[in-house]
Amino acid sequence: MPDRRPPDRPWPRRSRLAIAAALGLVATLAAQSLPLPNTPGSLKFAAIGDNGTGDTEQYQVGQQMTALHKTFPYDLVIMLGDNMYGGQSPSDFVRKFERPYAELLKAGVIFRASLGNHDRPENVNYKLYNMEGQRYYSYVRGNVRFLALDSTQVDQKQLAWLEATLRDAKEDWKVPYFHHPLYSNAARHGSSVDLRVLLEPLFVKYGVDVVFSGHDHVYERVKPQKGITYFVSGAAGQLRRGNMRPDPNETAGYFDQDQSFMLVEVSGDQMNFASIARSGKVVDSGMIRRQARGTAQGAGEEDRVPVVTGGNDDGR
Amino acid sequence: MAAEPRRSRAARLRASVPRLSQFALEHLLLLPLGAGIALIWANIWPESYFQTSYAAAFAINDVAMVFFFALMTKEVVEATAPGGVLHPWRRAWLPVIAAIGVATIPAWLHTNLVDYFDEPMLVSGWPVAFTIDVALAYFVARLVFGPRHPAIPFVLVLSIAADALGFVALAITDPTPFRPAGLAGVVVAMAVAGGLRRSGVRSFWPYLAGPGTLSWIALLWSGLHPALALVPVLPFLPHAARDPGFFVDAPEGARDTLSQFDRVCRYPAQAALFLFGLINGGVPLHAFEAGAWALPVATIVGRPLGLLAGVAFARAIGMHMPHRLSWRSLVPLGFATASGFSVGLFFTTALIPPGQLRSEISMGVLITAVLGPVLALVTGWLTKARYGEGPAPDA
Repeated sequence: MPDRRPPDRPWPRRSRLAIAAALGLVATLAAQSLPLPNTPGSLKFAAIGDNGTGDTEQYQVGQQMTALHKTFPYDLVIMLGDNMYGGQSPSDFVRKFERPYAELLKAGVIFRASLGNHDRPENVNYKLYNMEGQRYYSYVRGNVRFLALDSTQVDQKQLAWLEATLRDAKEDWKVPYFHHPLYSNAARHGSSVDLRVLLEPLFVKYGVDVVFSGHDHVYERVKPQKGITYFVSGAAGQLRRGNMRPDPNETAGYFDQDQSFMLVEVSGDQMNFASIARSGKVVDSGMIRRQARGTAQGAGEEDRVPVVTGGNDDGR
Repeated sequence: MAAEPRRSRAARLRASVPRLSQFALEHLLLLPLGAGIALIWANIWPESYFQTSYAAAFAINDVAMVFFFALMTKEVVEATAPGGVLHPWRRAWLPVIAAIGVATIPAWLHTNLVDYFDEPMLVSGWPVAFTIDVALAYFVARLVFGPRHPAIPFVLVLSIAADALGFVALAITDPTPFRPAGLAGVVVAMAVAGGLRRSGVRSFWPYLAGPGTLSWIALLWSGLHPALALVPVLPFLPHAARDPGFFVDAPEGARDTLSQFDRVCRYPAQAALFLFGLINGGVPLHAFEAGAWALPVATIVGRPLGLLAGVAFARAIGMHMPHRLSWRSLVPLGFATASGFSVGLFFTTALIPPGQLRSEISMGVLITAVLGPVLALVTGWLTKARYGEGPAPDA
């Protein structure tokens, strides 16, 4: 039974030390068996979605991320929206963001947020989200162009910006991330088809390989759709236990029994991923090989067959 | 002995269905029909629905809806003629003042409720809380109060004024960049329409082809909604000396320009309304988050409160309530005006781009369109608001 003691009423010091030691041990053991190449010089990042509850579970995910950072030194965390629930005062930013990820922030890990429906529009200005005051923005890390989108309001201006950014991108990988999933087989929300109709044609046209989203409070890896692998990772604080209704035609892997987050490593044409539960257990992992394409744009459907390997050890 | 009360109930039921114009009746049927089909379509074949909806959005929302707003403007223009609810203007002041409360209190509630429902992004939908579907409010008020109750002209003026305030709010908050110079084109269109009228042009076609087209282009260019293109032009069309009544079909023999326009444009407007419901009413039911309740709660609670506050303010500055319009009757009246429906959906599509916010606000509009009339009927029955059969008090 997970503990729901609020973080402002912590355990007694002795208990905290014991819990931290136990978690550290579990995390260390788990990290040793992370199914990621952990190649020096590769781009390593984490993905969290729907995290900002301020509850104990969010703190425990944060501890797991911190523990794994020691052996898998990622320096970027992409945030998939609903970064904060409920109150969003300065003290909430401390309780629901700065404190759970304090060690990562101290270690210089950069968080790059996209906003969800529970976030306040003005949060684009919160310094540690690194959003440059924009609802949508892009940046480059290694050979990857990340595009953080605002899926809550997809206006013509954003679509024009997205098309121009994808068209002009010279990087090998283009990785959009945003809150509402274009494909999801969770019962609560499911696929945002209204957005899929707008965004997917651009992703296909300009050779996107991987998309990350949250919103549904589960983990799901979707089989490549028109050549694109979609991840739903919306359980880094919230959880809708047992909410997945896996579709054999779409679902490649899923986990809906505990909070989770993702670790990703990009090296050349290869992207390795692992989804990790709050307990430290790896619940899904695999590799995506970038699609073969002559030019950045206009890849034919026949060229868009990514190699994706991976599997759940225990979906439920 | 038993047959008499049965006949009496049947007669009362028949009498309770207002005699409305064909346009108003079809407004009340075609728009819900379109929205109902859209709801089913969007939830069974969402991909084809949204592809169709996005492809048709400009043609329907920005072009075809010109005829709907033109016919609504025609009703308002005629209402300023002798016998109309806006004639003389002095008579309309109390509901106009009350409209400020009716529009702003639900909007204020909405901006606060979205925090309660933990969906702060929904705050941008506040102008939708201003809107009142004039035809729906009129229809429900006639059912609740009877056709000759002074609440009927009151509700019409109230709805028109609240929508007018809503359009101001929409213009202020519309994210489309605004080019004020474009308004010069609208002024020119009005001047040309005035010139046509002074020249004695009796056909409405030159008004549509010249000033109407110019106004549409100017509004589009300026960043304001081009569906309102005929709103500044219609007042220049020659109209009947007396108002035939709100939502009353133009008599067959009427030869004034506005009545001719009504007869010809009624059918395009009906088609536009159906298609408008069809392409904008499709809300994925999985988008039905707690936030979708913010708008219905704000309007259902805020409308009667706003009406009471607005009327209290108007009374405090020396205005008088219409004869036989009691404080108690303001409650069902408030519920009758709760729904924005056609105008609410129009504001939603104009203001909020595709995505979850639009879905939630649209869902809120649809919920209110059902809840508002039901509550109006229930509270009207509880407060015994309806007139008996007899002469109107102000007749």
